[in-house]
Amino acid sequence: MKRLKFIILASLLLASSLQSCDDTLDINTDPLAASSADPNAVLPYVFVQYSARKVPELGTRICDVSQYISNTFNSPNRGSVSSFLTGNTWGMYYVQALGNLSLVKADAAAAGETSNNVNAIATVLMAHVFYEATSLWEDVPFTEALNGAEFPNPKFDSQETVLNGVVDLYDEAIALIDAIPASGNFQITANSDMFYGGDMTSWRRLANSLKLRTLMMLKSGGANVDAKINETLNQPLIESNSQSAIIRYSGQPGAQNAMLTIITRFFGPDNESQDVFGPGDPIDELLRDSGDPRYDLWVARNDLPAPGNDLFPDPTTSVLSNNIIRADLPDMFIMPAEIDLYKAQLAFEGVAAAGDAETNYKNGIRNAIKWWGQDIPGAIATVSNSTIDSYVNGLPSPSINDIYNQQYLAAFLQPVMAWNIWRINKVPVLSPPPNSSIGTVLRRFVYPPDEIAANPNTPADKPTQEPMWFEN
Amino acid sequence: MKTKFSGMLTLLLALVVQFSFAQEKTITGTVIDDSGLPLPGTTVLVKGTSSGTSTDFDGKYSIKANQGDVLVFSFVGYTNQEATVGSSNTINITLQESAESLEEVVVTALGIKREARALGYGTDVIKGEELVTARESNIVNALQGKVTGVQITNSSGNVGGSSKVIIRGVSSLSGRNSPIWIVDGVIINNSQVAGGDANRISGNRDFANGAAVINPDDVESMNILKGAAATALYGSRAAGGAIIVTTKKGRANENGNALVTINSTIRFDDLFITPDYQQEYAMGTNGVYNAGLNGFDWGPRIEGQIVPNLPITGQPGPLQAVKNNGIDTFFDTGYTHINNFSVSDANDKTDYRISLTSLNQTGILPGSKLNRYTASLNAGIRHSDKLESRFGVQYIKSKSEGTGATGANDPNIIGLDFFSSTLDTRLFSPWKDASGNQINHIVDDAGALSNNPLWLRHENSNDRDDDRVIANASLTYKPFEGFALTGRFGVDLDDDKRLVENSKGTIQRLVGDFDSDNLRRQEITVDALASYTKDITEDFSLNVIGGFQYNSRLVERQRIQGVDLLIPELFSPANAAQTIATRDFTESRLVGLYSSAEFGYRNWATLTLTARNDWSSTLPKNNNSYFYPSASLAFVFTDALGIQNDWISYGKLRASWAQVGNDTAAYQLDFNFLPVTTANGQYSLDLNFPFNGALAYRANPTIPPANLVPEEQTSYEFGLDLKLFNGRLGLDLSYFKNQNKNQILAVAIPESTGFASSVLNVGQVDQEGFEIALDATPLKIGDFTWNTAINFSTVESKVVELTEGLEQFQIASAFNSVQVLAVPGKEFQLYGFDFLREPTTGRPIIDPDTGRRQQAAQAETLGSVLPDWTGGWINTFSYKGFSLSATIDAKWGGVMKSSTVENLQQSGLVKETLFGREGTFIDTEGVLVDANGNVTDNNIPLLNAEDYWTASLGVGSVATPWVYDATFVKLREVSLSYTFPSKMLENTFIQGLSIGVEGRNLALLYSKVPHIDPEASLFGSGADGFGIERSNVPTSRSVGFNVRLTF
Repeated sequence: MKRLKFIILASLLLASSLQSCDDTLDINTDPLAASSADPNAVLPYVFVQYSARKVPELGTRICDVSQYISNTFNSPNRGSVSSFLTGNTWGMYYVQALGNLSLVKADAAAAGETSNNVNAIATVLMAHVFYEATSLWEDVPFTEALNGAEFPNPKFDSQETVLNGVVDLYDEAIALIDAIPASGNFQITANSDMFYGGDMTSWRRLANSLKLRTLMMLKSGGANVDAKINETLNQPLIESNSQSAIIRYSGQPGAQNAMLTIITRFFGPDNESQDVFGPGDPIDELLRDSGDPRYDLWVARNDLPAPGNDLFPDPTTSVLSNNIIRADLPDMFIMPAEIDLYKAQLAFEGVAAAGDAETNYKNGIRNAIKWWGQDIPGAIATVSNSTIDSYVNGLPSPSINDIYNQQYLAAFLQPVMAWNIWRINKVPVLSPPPNSSIGTVLRRFVYPPDEIAANPNTPADKPTQEPMWFEN
Repeated sequence: MKTKFSGMLTLLLALVVQFSFAQEKTITGTVIDDSGLPLPGTTVLVKGTSSGTSTDFDGKYSIKANQGDVLVFSFVGYTNQEATVGSSNTINITLQESAESLEEVVVTALGIKREARALGYGTDVIKGEELVTARESNIVNALQGKVTGVQITNSSGNVGGSSKVIIRGVSSLSGRNSPIWIVDGVIINNSQVAGGDANRISGNRDFANGAAVINPDDVESMNILKGAAATALYGSRAAGGAIIVTTKKGRANENGNALVTINSTIRFDDLFITPDYQQEYAMGTNGVYNAGLNGFDWGPRIEGQIVPNLPITGQPGPLQAVKNNGIDTFFDTGYTHINNFSVSDANDKTDYRISLTSLNQTGILPGSKLNRYTASLNAGIRHSDKLESRFGVQYIKSKSEGTGATGANDPNIIGLDFFSSTLDTRLFSPWKDASGNQINHIVDDAGALSNNPLWLRHENSNDRDDDRVIANASLTYKPFEGFALTGRFGVDLDDDKRLVENSKGTIQRLVGDFDSDNLRRQEITVDALASYTKDITEDFSLNVIGGFQYNSRLVERQRIQGVDLLIPELFSPANAAQTIATRDFTESRLVGLYSSAEFGYRNWATLTLTARNDWSSTLPKNNNSYFYPSASLAFVFTDALGIQNDWISYGKLRASWAQVGNDTAAYQLDFNFLPVTTANGQYSLDLNFPFNGALAYRANPTIPPANLVPEEQTSYEFGLDLKLFNGRLGLDLSYFKNQNKNQILAVAIPESTGFASSVLNVGQVDQEGFEIALDATPLKIGDFTWNTAINFSTVESKVVELTEGLEQFQIASAFNSVQVLAVPGKEFQLYGFDFLREPTTGRPIIDPDTGRRQQAAQAETLGSVLPDWTGGWINTFSYKGFSLSATIDAKWGGVMKSSTVENLQQSGLVKETLFGREGTFIDTEGVLVDANGNVTDNNIPLLNAEDYWTASLGVGSVATPWVYDATFVKLREVSLSYTFPSKMLENTFIQGLSIGVEGRNLALLYSKVPHIDPEASLFGSGADGFGIERSNVPTSRSVGFNVRLTF
């Protein structure tokens, strides 16, 4: 009897504890994560994470491939691309940027036309990232990318396919912007749109300008894009420095340009005292004694010789100026000089809609010098309008080579563009750095080990000296 | 008839007379073991008769006996004791555990004591004394060489560093390979969170693993439960085995007073392995001296030539070699003081033990130290025949300073490759001036400064301050005979505060930074357990247990990182220009119901069936329940068949089968967006949110699983346990095979899908192994005894399959493309690049332009990182009070990649790099292959020997020159002790006194890895990497003295 009592009591205890079991176990929700996120919070992540990878990693290592900078650490310029450089960049493009942008885009599309603004921003940024991805690796996943449910192993598309798709994305963004309703739209907060604070007219102009950039690459590859180019020339393009797309760095800790923080973290107070970044030989050759005010803006101790392609600067050489290697140097996506100089090239080649070659050429140079000497946020050294005018007005009519040289200069410190412009034009002539294992300037990245391991559709790597399709 | 009756009467009368003469009375008492616990089931016999009884659940007995009778008390595993009945009616007995006993009592799952003969699976028991013969600051290391089937990896020579235990090989691809630790019935956490970089490759600080706080002086025994059948009652968390620690309970002195013990050790540590440094060439490159190139000795031959700038001082003077590259003066002699003081007492109602222990250690690495204080209490009261309660608490305060950084990309790393032939390390002192600025830097020819390593060691904090409380309380109620209800509550609280800091003025971290990292862990376990024991018939016994367990684990981490300090050593967020605050929180819970039934037949056959069902909070609600059964059989064939002779006294066959499940980590099931404070950049040049006023969220890059099911382990084991030659030889053999399916893994998916990984049930890892434990007493002559114990275990942990489309899975990643991979059909593999080789000869193909070797196009698997076998050999010689014991342990097979050796060689620091320093250097191992495929011996000269080591062997990411067979044999432990005979202490208050000399890590008897301790590992106990080493804090050898006193 006694035993029975205990068995019953024990069973009751057990039963009651099990009853609460369901609630007890219902704790598997991360209290520090959200089930959905406002695009106003996701877009800043994309802008800043993109920039955080691009500036220190691509910024130093591609700007040295195209010889804007004399020598840098762990550079691929001698032919070998480290798994970190290629892997970090790939992950940033596809997971951190495109992964998040595609979620924003999908949500915006589901919300309908009142979210066209966010949809368009995400679309422009996605197009830009795909453009950069194909610039580094040539064939990359595009048509099957970002849709793991349907395509767990996305195939790699040819560069022409990717670039045409990028153009389509810009067209799609422009169409979305043109269809924004008059009212009731999603509120883009000023801080979250790091380019334009939610101003969609600016985004439309940006989309059209980036589309032109992409078409110039398609054109270089031999695609017939004349009509498309004319289309962009007849739509608003970026014309003034104030319309540039840049990510501003406040210069405060946590928001400092990494070209400087590499120096302050590892060497000392600034570039001129620590001799970390020096001007590459082509910069020295194009600007020294040219009268171009950019020489003084960019290069300090510029009476001394440049350090040379494979060397760091030292007190006996010139060095990149503290005027540009500074905490609040913005991360530059596109400025009007690039567009002006495309137009100069197109006009030179006879495209009527591009206008006059010399005017565009001079506008480009003027805009570029004004950018570095006046308009760039945080400019320390400035150049007066009269100095600029007297220099620009004194320039002779350009040859196509002059235009190419100016395109090269206009891409200064813009990592991927710096390399693309040179690979398209091959001007100025670059000699490969000593001890290069490929005997030429690096032409491509190798695919990252993670993608190779996980995606059986990853093509075999081509040698890093093999030109891409767009170099045709 | 009459005759018959009278005869009987006579007999009866005679008996009566006899009885009256013998004065029969009832004797009562309690039988306890030497730890003060009652011993239920002890047989009490009147010697020479068959009259007897056994003790009840409380160890109490009652027997009728006559004055002058001798009572014999016996219990398996204990030495029989006799007591003569005198005038008293009470006889309390303490039985001593028998060293030579054929039978053992083993603490099994849930703290249930079982006779070893009834167990159908293999276990290992380490007694407390074995843990304190040569005490280790991390108890895990004390198991080295002593336990079959257990692999211990001590990651480095850091004081307070972590050690990893793997039982019977690896079973999990997701890093859940560690056993659970249970202290007095309480599950404690043994996790380890690296300080600094979470990936452990960049400036990792190897802070201790959770179980390192267990104080060896307080341990009565450690039982290692290896197979799934042994641990099945613990549920899913014990898939990697279980280590059950039982702490000492109160017991009285033999004279009935309190027992006071003092145990003191002092130990001295020095460098275990010194690289074979070359002393002929100075620091520099291409034969040219450079005062800034410490750890790069490709300079000129040292001939006493005058150089304008000697290292550190910058003064002109002659170049001279410094013995052992100055490491003897750079590294300190470490000191360790361990003091334990305990008081214990017991009577039949209560037992009580308090213990205080201090461990004060300074490491060989300058500025490193560990102070640990342990206070523990263990007490029990038997309130009545039916009710008893126990309470135990341990408070441990650990403070470590100056933990060394390992890996790469951190200025604080000082490995054996830091030093140079011509750099006198004594010049580094002092390291700061009166204003606190760094001085005595290394200065290169252009005047650029590198850090003074003593500045790094003394000014940059790597501190950990940990408070730990492990407590348990239990109540047992026995309403009627054979039935007991036990409730037990256990908690493990850990407050772990770390501060890793770079003082302002540290080169490469000029602006100063700090990382204040606070971790709080809480693990609560509640058990309710009912047991019922009954002998159904004379032959059949039954033991049934049913219970309920609740387990909750909570981890909270709050971290403030500050960069750019205003005041150098003020680690407040407000003193930092940039602060990053992060917070993590996870909680998981498990509810389990379990039962076990043990059927015994004539004490020679025991069948045990167990069942457990767990419900886990971390699995999908519709799939969160999993059931796992086990069955085990023990068959003592010697008893069953009546075999009992001189050569075999005991033989047991055992077999077991079990199936257990496992859940996963918390919060894996939902897709979510995570708030972001940091945008990561190269070189940790991160940007912070809010950025330009904007907050940020990112999508979780891991795709949550659609249908997750629990992991499943099926295992079986067979064993044979023999005692031969009158117990002089014991042999224990085990064979086991485990199958681990449905592993829950975050599998890398193509990043081009927009996601990085996906959580899936994938893969299967099988383990198959064989273990031998041999325990022999080859010599026993008079007072002299030689005991030898050998253990050997081999296990193959093979990855059977992954998932479709997945050819390999990364377990861990290190430097230069070196990885540890799971590849189907193989054990865990080291993976890296070899040279481009000519296929027919296998010789490296030389680049005709440079004379250098070239890297192969594809990385390849380079061998298993797991050993083929591990073993230990313990010899103990005793003569009267003297005891000499030595432990040798071996790990055989497996490969490792040493980046320290790579650096030592590439930097021209070691003797083998002296070859070919003068004159031309041609890599004669290489071949040239011309355009037509003709192969010829290489004749293309390299620039010099430096070119060979740095650019030819060091081409690209080639790993193979530094991949070694990781085999080693070590003289792990030696101790010599003398116990004073009690006669000598007769007239003193001292009851027992023993003194001893002890040593640990005394010699590396065999190794194929040059210059370093092959045991080093980059990955601490909390990570699942093996076989990779880089700039580990060198390990130490220690020698010390010990005094043990009881009164």
